[in-house]
Amino acid sequence: MLSIYLNNVAFYVPELIVVATMCFVLIMEATYSNTETKRGYIYGIACLGLVATIINLIFNLNRESVSIFTNSIVIDPFSTLSKIMMVLATLGVVYLCSQSKDIYANLKTEFVAMTLGVLFGGMLLASANNMLTLYLGIETLSILSYVLASFKRNDDRSAEAGLKYALYGGVSAALMLFGMSHIYGVLGTIQFAELPAILKTLEGVNVFIILASFVVFFVGLGYKISCVPFHMWAPDVYEGSPIPVTTLFALVPKIAGIVAVVRVSMIFFKVDGVLQHGWVGLISVIAVLTMFVGNITAIGQRSFKRMLAYSSIAHAGNMLLGVVVMNEIGAEAILFYGFVYIFMTLVAFYVGSFVADTYGNDHFDRFAGLIKKHPLMALCLTAAMFSLAGLPPFSGFIAKFRILYVLAEKKYYTLAVLAGINSVISLFYYLKVVRLMILKDAENENKIEGFCYRNQAIIIALAVPILLWGVFWEQLVHLTTSSHMFTF
Amino acid sequence: MHAILTWILWMPILGMLVVLIMPKEKEDAIRWLSLATTAFTFLLTIVLYLKFDQTVPGIQPAFAIKVPWIEQFHIYYSLGIDGISLPMTILTGLLFFICILSSWTIEKSVKSYFALLLLLESTVFGVFFSLDFFLFYVYWEVMLIPMFFLIGIWGGENREYAAVKFFLYTFFGSVLMLVGMVALYFVSGQGESSFDLLALAGGRWHETKMMLFGHQFDFDKIFFVMLFIGFAIKVPVFPFHTWLPHAHVQAPTAVSVILAGVLLKMGTYGFLRIAFPIFPQASIYFASMIAWLGIINVIYGALCAMAQTDVKKLIAYSSVSHMGFVMLGLSAMTIQGMNGAVLQMFNHGTSTAMMFLLVGILYERSHHRWIVKPDGTKGFGGLYTQLPKFSIIFIIAMFASMGLPGLSGFVSEALIFLGMYEKFTTITLIAAFGLLLGAAYLLWMFKRMFFGEVIEENKNYEDMNSREIFYMLPLCVAVILFGIYPAPLLNIMKASVGSLVTMLSSF
Repeated sequence: MLSIYLNNVAFYVPELIVVATMCFVLIMEATYSNTETKRGYIYGIACLGLVATIINLIFNLNRESVSIFTNSIVIDPFSTLSKIMMVLATLGVVYLCSQSKDIYANLKTEFVAMTLGVLFGGMLLASANNMLTLYLGIETLSILSYVLASFKRNDDRSAEAGLKYALYGGVSAALMLFGMSHIYGVLGTIQFAELPAILKTLEGVNVFIILASFVVFFVGLGYKISCVPFHMWAPDVYEGSPIPVTTLFALVPKIAGIVAVVRVSMIFFKVDGVLQHGWVGLISVIAVLTMFVGNITAIGQRSFKRMLAYSSIAHAGNMLLGVVVMNEIGAEAILFYGFVYIFMTLVAFYVGSFVADTYGNDHFDRFAGLIKKHPLMALCLTAAMFSLAGLPPFSGFIAKFRILYVLAEKKYYTLAVLAGINSVISLFYYLKVVRLMILKDAENENKIEGFCYRNQAIIIALAVPILLWGVFWEQLVHLTTSSHMFTF
Repeated sequence: MHAILTWILWMPILGMLVVLIMPKEKEDAIRWLSLATTAFTFLLTIVLYLKFDQTVPGIQPAFAIKVPWIEQFHIYYSLGIDGISLPMTILTGLLFFICILSSWTIEKSVKSYFALLLLLESTVFGVFFSLDFFLFYVYWEVMLIPMFFLIGIWGGENREYAAVKFFLYTFFGSVLMLVGMVALYFVSGQGESSFDLLALAGGRWHETKMMLFGHQFDFDKIFFVMLFIGFAIKVPVFPFHTWLPHAHVQAPTAVSVILAGVLLKMGTYGFLRIAFPIFPQASIYFASMIAWLGIINVIYGALCAMAQTDVKKLIAYSSVSHMGFVMLGLSAMTIQGMNGAVLQMFNHGTSTAMMFLLVGILYERSHHRWIVKPDGTKGFGGLYTQLPKFSIIFIIAMFASMGLPGLSGFVSEALIFLGMYEKFTTITLIAAFGLLLGAAYLLWMFKRMFFGEVIEENKNYEDMNSREIFYMLPLCVAVILFGIYPAPLLNIMKASVGSLVTMLSSF
């Protein structure tokens, strides 16, 4: 028994590295007095740990898929790829935090520890192979997020954000558990691996019970990816939280949530029938609503962070469209979207964060005339904005193209047209930022302090994939393609 | 010879990169470098013309190039040229060369301006050369980015609104096109799915049905309409034309010239290269609708032009009217009609470019464009006595635009009428009335601006300088030459247009 466990642990090294790094950061925090040097060490350790995790995950990519820990965790290419995404995103967030002035200096080390915790929750969610692990993942992710949201202790809005997040999270987690209990009641198991066989034999009224309990179950995941109608918390939480935290929320929980939705959909609704049709219909409606609500609401925003919050809601809708097709190609398109989305979002938040640090707020007008002050940064943000809108030759276009591609293959033309129209709507508000940056004159001559050479270099490095994957995207396609994406 | 299209396509980008690394104080060096780049590119298009084999219908194998780009998705870097895209290529090369010259007086952020203009040139070539739908779409879209900045930064007072409107309108059309493109990819057949425009052509989807909201529809009709909207916004066909007056009026002179001279043609080129060959049955089915929209363009554009007091806006609306003639020629689907349409695409490019350039030259002197100022006083008067050289070139441009026999506009319009008379007699008659309206608004404008008493502020305007005369000359030669002897152009398009018409008439 012990040897099996030890054997299993070998597959779980990436997560263990994350946890070890987290512990190490906490020990450092407790041992040393609070100095600038200590913070430097802690960031160094965190970054090293995350890089080690990525390397380990890349090695895992070529290993065969396994279920470990009595089938509660599954390691397959899909989960590994989504973990790579989350670790990349966390790395970006940790660096942003080290530079940001939006978090009190003495809180920054705690931030690193909690971010790693959120990452661990996301990784748990991505490879969950039974209901309990899924729930554990969501809760690990959420509970730490509540604290992170209220990180600006003296700021009312941050406290409000934390409370709001906690209340929403609590209710949706309860609903999710309720749904799970019904599913367990009907199917008699919580193991994902055993479900498809049982679902095939399901008939009569049980089908509808399952579908109804799934809708309730979906609330938990839907709230994590902030899709309509569970999106209400997102803008306020995003706006209230410090910028690095907002960046984290826009990336890690979102990706983890989408990945979980994909896995759950692929397991439960693989079989063609009433169950699948109901689920596809539900997800399509939710995806379309999410896109429209996110995009239309974003138009009216004047705060950069809030605008990005709504736009990230819309992007979640776009990614959900990849679930509708219920096949591996859809999952690959979502993974591709995720990789591209990370870089676009990081560039947007990085530039936005430094601008906000200088001026004290992130109102759109603060971006006016950025091209005159920092031409390269303005160009990077322009690329990110165009890419988010889905304009070639930027990678955001390829991401949207791949979603349209899978939709057209299944002949969901209406959904494809609606996704396209949403791209147009989103271009309108992304253009607002570009317009201010490039066409308007600056309010003053003050340079933005955060854009030192190192930070500029990092932002440019983050912006390179935006253009590169827009033109040469075959490598990324290969990376996100696998002949055995899932293990059931 | 296979590399020449790639050279033409990437030459401006190369120039742009050099411009970008130059220090921005060296404004003159930047101007000369841009000029040299466009001049060399134009020369390459002339080489293309000389090496062009007029007897080959369709894509010239001598220039075609096809290299895998994204193999997994069957996307190719596939370039080629035929008798329909060659005139557009030459026009693009010429107009960009002239635009660089006419932009010599730009003072604001010279470096970025010329870099963007060169980027724009490259994307326009990309649209005309692409034989892969995906590549075509990428160029079609990328073109919006330099256009947005060119209008938005160097434009007139209301430039931002115009730039955003232009961007959003075109983007809306393109996403519909994108969905059509991806849908075509999947119905194009098992195992041979592709974005290859030549492989997609031939109307194989006549029988294909699709389900939409529980009803059965013809696949080709639905997707023809989607492509149609995408291209129609660019042309612009009524009712999608509302972005055009704003964009034209606000854009700086050179950008208006490119917009009217080349970019509008990309819409009609899209019909000829994509919509018609891929969905011939649907094109025939919708032909009369296209003709009616075309005639609305002709009449409505002319009437709007007549009501304008801003010269540039007047010419912008005259473009709407003239592009209507192209749509009419396309809808006829006969040899004469199609030839006329392609010729009109070229001729409108030259004549309208002249008009916009002349208005730009006048604006540099007067700093306003009002025929009648908003307060009711005259904006211009008696220019003829003040600016004789300017007036002569203006007269040539105006008459070419009006379609006076002996100048280029006449040949193409006559061919269009000839081609469509049998099929759409009523529409032809109404269109002839449109010609009359065209003469009316142009002559009326001319009378108000050039004749009559010289008003005070017109008195000290300088006549055209040698730079301005130099860049107007090639266009003058073009409108006169192709008015008297259109054969060089007609010969190169004949075979390609012929094969398209034969293909269309076989359904």
